[in-house]
Amino acid sequence: MIATLSRSTPVLVQGISGRMGRTHAAGMRAYGTNIVAGTSARGDLGDVDGVPVFHDCAAAVAATGATASIAMVPPGDVRAAVLEAVAAGIRLVVTIAEGVPVHDALAVGRAVRAAGATWVGPSTPGLAVPGEMKLGFLPDAALRPGPVAIMSKSGTLSYEIGWRLAQSGLGQSLWVGVGGDPVKGVRFADLLAPFLADARTAAIVLVGEVGGDEEEQFAAALAQVGAAKPVFAVIAGSEAKEGVAMGHAGALTFGATGTVRSKRAALEAAGVRVFATMAALVADCGDQRRRW
Amino acid sequence: MLLVEADGKALFRAAGIAVPAGVEAGRGAAPVLPGDGPWMVKAQVPAGGRGKAGGVARGADAASVRAAVAHQLGLRIKGHDVECCLVEQVARGAERYLALVLDPAEYAVRVLFSAEGGVDIEQAAAVASRLCPPEVDAITAAVDELVAGEPEGWRAALVATGQRLARLMLDHELMLAEINPLFVSVAGCVAGDAKVVIDLNAIDRQPAIAALLRARPATYADAVRKLDEGFDYVELDPDGEVGLVTTGAGLSMMLVDEMTARGMKPLNFLDIRTGQLRGSPARLIRVLEWIAERKRVKVVLVNIFAGITDLGEFAGLLADAIAATPALRVPVVARLVGRGAEQARRVLAERMPDIVVEEELEAALARVARACA
Repeated sequence: MIATLSRSTPVLVQGISGRMGRTHAAGMRAYGTNIVAGTSARGDLGDVDGVPVFHDCAAAVAATGATASIAMVPPGDVRAAVLEAVAAGIRLVVTIAEGVPVHDALAVGRAVRAAGATWVGPSTPGLAVPGEMKLGFLPDAALRPGPVAIMSKSGTLSYEIGWRLAQSGLGQSLWVGVGGDPVKGVRFADLLAPFLADARTAAIVLVGEVGGDEEEQFAAALAQVGAAKPVFAVIAGSEAKEGVAMGHAGALTFGATGTVRSKRAALEAAGVRVFATMAALVADCGDQRRRW
Repeated sequence: MLLVEADGKALFRAAGIAVPAGVEAGRGAAPVLPGDGPWMVKAQVPAGGRGKAGGVARGADAASVRAAVAHQLGLRIKGHDVECCLVEQVARGAERYLALVLDPAEYAVRVLFSAEGGVDIEQAAAVASRLCPPEVDAITAAVDELVAGEPEGWRAALVATGQRLARLMLDHELMLAEINPLFVSVAGCVAGDAKVVIDLNAIDRQPAIAALLRARPATYADAVRKLDEGFDYVELDPDGEVGLVTTGAGLSMMLVDEMTARGMKPLNFLDIRTGQLRGSPARLIRVLEWIAERKRVKVVLVNIFAGITDLGEFAGLLADAIAATPALRVPVVARLVGRGAEQARRVLAERMPDIVVEEELEAALARVARACA
């Protein structure tokens, strides 16, 4: 569903009457997102900036036809919020809370998969179709329509790279933050097919980091279908301390598993251009651009 | 995050999984050895590969145990100083491998078993596995299948151990519970080692694990700090020369990587979470105090890419924090980009005119390199 998002997609904001909910709903609307409804578990049912607020997702969906939602709720409430949204028929749920317990994410993942829906989270800055809409809080300063599709575990590292690419004249077609949690919704490998199929996308930038094996799985998926579009990558964490989660719960290495070295080797074997620095990636994207 | 073996074993014991008789040995008096030898001496660090780093030894008598403890307490393994050793009676039996690990792509628990225990499992020829929903009965049934070829005399004990490990993993919300080697004999199963990865995000509802972390504040310094402060600060090199005040895990990690590759020596990793400062400089003061304690630090680099954060407000808090940390006597380079950057420049120019503000990270890094030279 991610690649079909547009400025007309009807969006529900769960937890719209809270501090975060209000702030980010306003930011998203200002960017162009079609926010049609909000929910408030606390029962604050007055409109928020003209957006009608409902008790629950089922009522919101029934009244407005929302198909996507973003849950602005604390980490302990993410599990219930996503299950409620999916049960109400929402097809795409984005969650942004930091610190969602991993076993909660496991339960959410199982439920979303069983429902055939899509979940981006648990902890991400969200996603954007630059120039059209965004779900979450990717910074407007870094968003600029263009030919590069970005997928990233880290929010801030993708901001830096997206911003530098935009400064160099390369904007984005799609931008999805998958988050730095070990158990999550959409993973890098899930984005390969939609990014390759997306007509706006000429090149893919993967912003990875240590821990887990998402980069390796992406490489395996890419090797299978062949790199019809160039893929560029950086992987943060070559200096990460072993056994300690570096800010993201998923950024955890043990022995040879999940290291930058193993990820780099897998990606390069699949034809990805992997860089040690952000500057080198941005420069190479500029150099390669003529061939896209 | 990874627990040290002794803490993993404390969880095992509580879950009904037998472990060898053992005692911890630190820098104090020599340990009273459990039972008869020989004994194993193992450095208690939350990192793998300690065997290759000299952190595992076998001692036949009290003198060799003491020597091994003394040697290991002087080691630094994968960035962790050895604070404590575990001295255990050597267990006996056939060696097996049993592990439960979350499979993130399948939203499942993967059960792994090998009849070749006690070796680096990546080198083991035959590791069989099953995927299960995160439920005790399903995991137990999978263990039952995986150990079908084991001798009748201890098969039931292996299944019972698998069931207890499953309950432990689900009750304590573990990400990994691995026993390698698992000693098996007709007398039952004994866990020779314990590799347990916990979920810090679940710590509020896991008091037993929180207690383990708090009992070893030095070993789990980074995690305890996160519990107490609500953000991530990881000291990478106590002799580091660049103190980092940064937000965002990925960008902070990348910054550390790029600085190290250029020969700079970052002191720390930090994800301060500017969105949680809520108008108070307290968190910034804490960080600047930790940085100021390290005498080799030559410069502080502040790097904030503000998506939501208002940099004007942040600059005011930064100025407050620097003013409140007189122990910090090194120059500060600030790279600020995003929302409110212009206002931030004005605030800092007025209140902290010595701080150099850059928009480009590369330019800020060049200044940091000059300060270190």
